[in-house]
Amino acid sequence: MTPVRLVRVVWQATFLGLFLWLLVRLAEGDPRAFPYAVFQQSSPLSSAGVAFAARTLPPALAVGGGVVLVLTVVFGRFFCGWVCPLGTLQQLASVVLSPRSRRESIEVNRWRPWYALKSWILAFMLAAALLGSLQTGLLDPLSLAARGLAAGVWPLLPGGRPVPGGWLAASLLVAVLVASRFVPRLFCRALCPLGALLALFARNALFRLARRDGACTDCRACRFACQGADEPLGAHRPGECHVCLNCVGGCPEGALAFRFLGSISAPERRPDLGRRWLVGGILSGLGAAPLLRAGGGREVASPAMLRPPGALRELEFLERCIKCSLCEQACPTGALQPALAQAGVEGFWTPVLVPRRGGCEFACTRCGEVCPTGAIASLTATRKTGYDGGPPVRIGTAFVDRGRCLPWAMATPCIVCEEMCPTDPKAIWFERVNEAARDGRMLVLQRPRLDPARCVGCGLCENRCPVGAEAAIRVTSVGESRDPLNRMLLGG
Amino acid sequence: MSHEHRIGRREALVRLSSAGLAVAGVATGALGFADRRTASAAVSALRDWRVATPGEGARAVAARGANPADNVRRALTALGGVERFVKRGEVVLVKPNVGWDRLPEQAANTDPRVVAEIVRQARAAGARRVVVADISCNDPGRCFDRSGILAAAGQAGAEVLDGRHVKMVSANLSGAAAGLQVFAPLLEADRVINVPIAKHHGLSRVTLGMKNWFGVLDRGRNRLHQDIDRCLAELGAMFRPTLTVVDATRVLLGNGPQGGSLSDVKDVGAVAVSVDPVLCDAWGAVQLGVDPSSLGFIRNAERAGLGRSDLALVREIGKA
Repeated sequence: MTPVRLVRVVWQATFLGLFLWLLVRLAEGDPRAFPYAVFQQSSPLSSAGVAFAARTLPPALAVGGGVVLVLTVVFGRFFCGWVCPLGTLQQLASVVLSPRSRRESIEVNRWRPWYALKSWILAFMLAAALLGSLQTGLLDPLSLAARGLAAGVWPLLPGGRPVPGGWLAASLLVAVLVASRFVPRLFCRALCPLGALLALFARNALFRLARRDGACTDCRACRFACQGADEPLGAHRPGECHVCLNCVGGCPEGALAFRFLGSISAPERRPDLGRRWLVGGILSGLGAAPLLRAGGGREVASPAMLRPPGALRELEFLERCIKCSLCEQACPTGALQPALAQAGVEGFWTPVLVPRRGGCEFACTRCGEVCPTGAIASLTATRKTGYDGGPPVRIGTAFVDRGRCLPWAMATPCIVCEEMCPTDPKAIWFERVNEAARDGRMLVLQRPRLDPARCVGCGLCENRCPVGAEAAIRVTSVGESRDPLNRMLLGG
Repeated sequence: MSHEHRIGRREALVRLSSAGLAVAGVATGALGFADRRTASAAVSALRDWRVATPGEGARAVAARGANPADNVRRALTALGGVERFVKRGEVVLVKPNVGWDRLPEQAANTDPRVVAEIVRQARAAGARRVVVADISCNDPGRCFDRSGILAAAGQAGAEVLDGRHVKMVSANLSGAAAGLQVFAPLLEADRVINVPIAKHHGLSRVTLGMKNWFGVLDRGRNRLHQDIDRCLAELGAMFRPTLTVVDATRVLLGNGPQGGSLSDVKDVGAVAVSVDPVLCDAWGAVQLGVDPSSLGFIRNAERAGLGRSDLALVREIGKA
C-alpha cells in the first residue's frame, strides 16, 4: 500500500467512524452538545435544495455547503473519495464482495454514458425544489446513510427501538451497497445528485491529475482501482474523479501526478449530458412538484398529524426538511417517527409525532437541536415550556373521549392522564361526581376534564392511557403554535 | 438379471447406521419440542427481604434537621444500625422514586442526598453490590439525570440502572397485578430498601412506600389505579422490604405525583426509617397533613396484617 493510499484509507475510516459515532451518541441520548448534524450540513445539495425551496439559506448550511464547494473548486470531488460515509461504505463493499479479476476490474471501471443519469436526477430535484418540493434528501448520500442506519440498522441492535418503514430505509442502503459488488460505487457514479452537483464545480478544479508526456505505455493499470470511472488514461474527466489517487500510485511508469494546475495532454471533454435528457429532467421536476400536490393538504395541516415541537408551519417545514432521520434518532421516547403516508407524497419520511408510541417530554428539545436545516426550530427548555413567561410551544390539543374513558363511561376510577400531565397548572383537571354503580353502590369518581388553554399537546396522556387500542384521550394538531390558522380558541 | 448389484457388508452398515441416525435425530427433535412449555411458564418467586427483628425496640425512627444525609444516618443508627439490616457480601437494591423529569427542588423525586446516604451506609456495611433502580414515567435518561440521583448515587458507589438498562421478568404476582412483570434487579437482591418521597396523589391522596412499588412494574401498571386502595395493599403484601425510608426533606402538597410548581412544595426536613411499611406510610401522611386513618390503603394494609399505623410506635429523635 502506497503512503498516499494509507493516508486516504485512514482518513476515510476516521470520517466514517465519526459519522457512526455521532449517530450512536444521538441514540444513546448523550446530553453533550456534539455537532450531530455536521455531515448533513456539509452537503451542498442540501444547501442548494433548501435555498431553492425555502428561498433562504440557514447559516449552518451556508457555511457547511460553502466550505465543501470551495474545497471542491480547489481539489475536485475529494468529498466523495475522502469524506462521504456512503462512498466509503460502498468502496468497502466493492472490495469485500467483489470477485473480479484484475482484467475485469480494469473493464468495469470504464466510464459509461449512462453515468450522466445523476445529472438528470439533480436537474429534476433542483427544478422541483424551485417550486417548493424538497426531495433532495431522498438520494442525498448523507441523509440516505443516516436514514438507513438510524431506521434500518439501529432497531436491530440492543437498545434500539422499532421504526415503522425501517425495512425500506435499510433496503435502500443495502441495495446501494450490494450494487457495488457489480459496479464499484455504482450509486456515486450514476445516481448521486450530490456527486453530480460537486462534479459541476470539480470540472475546472485547480488541483487535478496530470500526465507526463511520453511516459504512458497504455497499460491501463491506472483504471484498476479507479473509484470514479473518470478515465485517468486518455480522455480524463475531472468532474467524475473522486480524487482517490489510486491511479497515481498504481501507474508502473510513474506517469501520473495530482498537481496544482496540472495539464492533461488529451483534450478535455465537456460533460456529455445529452441536452434533451437534461431539459427533460428539469421539465419533469417542474411538472412533478404540482402533480404531487394534486391531493392538496400542503397549506392546511392535517388534524391527525402532529409535527415535532418547534416545527415551522407545514409549508415552510416541507421546504426545509431533508428527511435525514436525525430528529427521530434523537427523540428519547420514540415519539417521532417517519411519515409513510400521513404527510402526503411530498412529506414522505418527514417526522411526525405519534403519541401512542411515545409522548413529547415536557422540557426536552433534542429534535430541534439536531435538525440540520432549521425545519424544527432549536428551542430552549424554558422557551418550550413557557417558563420564560411566554406562551408554551404547543404541538396540538388533547381531547377526552367520554365514550371510552373509564371514569366517564364505565364508572371505574382512573387518573393516569391527569397524573402524566406536565403543565403547571395541569391542563387536565378533575370533576368529582357521585355516581351509582350498576348494583346501586355509590361511587366517587374523578372525571378528567381538559383545559385547552393549558394543553400543549405533548401526548403523554394519550401514551399512558390504559384504554387499549385507541386511547380515551387523544391529541390532534389543532391549537399548534406553528400555524395561526390551525386554531380552535379565540386568542389561543 | 445377471448384473444384479449386491451391496457389500460395509455399505450396508453405512446405510443402516445413517438411516438410524436420521430417525434418532428426528425423534429427539420431536420429543424435545413436543408439548414444550412456553417462556411464560418461567416465573420467578419473590423473596421476603425482611430481617428478623427482636420484638422490643422502635419499629420506626424519624429524624429532623437541615442535612438530609445526617437525618438518614441518625435515624438508621437509632433503629439499631445498618449492620442489623445489611450483611457483608449481600446485594442491596435501593428503590427510590425517580418517576419524573423534575429537579430536586420540585419534590417529585426522592432527594438525591437521601438516596446517596443510604447507598453509602449499605456500602459501609459491606454490601457486595448496591443497585439503585426505578422505572420512570417520563424518559428515564432525563429523570435520572435531572433528579440528581444518577450523579449522587453513582458517586456514593451504587450501580444506577434506569428503565433502559433493566430487564423486565415475570414474577409470581397475585391479585390485580397478576401477570405483570417486575424488573430483574428486584429478583437479584438479597435486601431491598424502599425509599419513597412523601407526595400528594390525585387518587390515593398521598403516595408513599406502598405506592412506590409501582416503580418496579412497567407495562400494565396504569391499570392498577382502577382500585387503588386495594392494589396498594396487595403490592405491600407481595413486596416485603428490609427497610422503608420515607423522604420528607421536601414534600409535595398538591398536583402530585408529578408536581412542577414550587408553590406546592413544602420544606419539612425530616426522614423516617422503618421496618414497618405501614407505620412509615402513616408517618409520611402526617407530614403531608393527612390523617392516616382516613386513607383506604393504610386501613387495608393494616387489616391485612402488613404493619401498624399507630404513630405512637414512631420514635421521634428530633434535631441533632
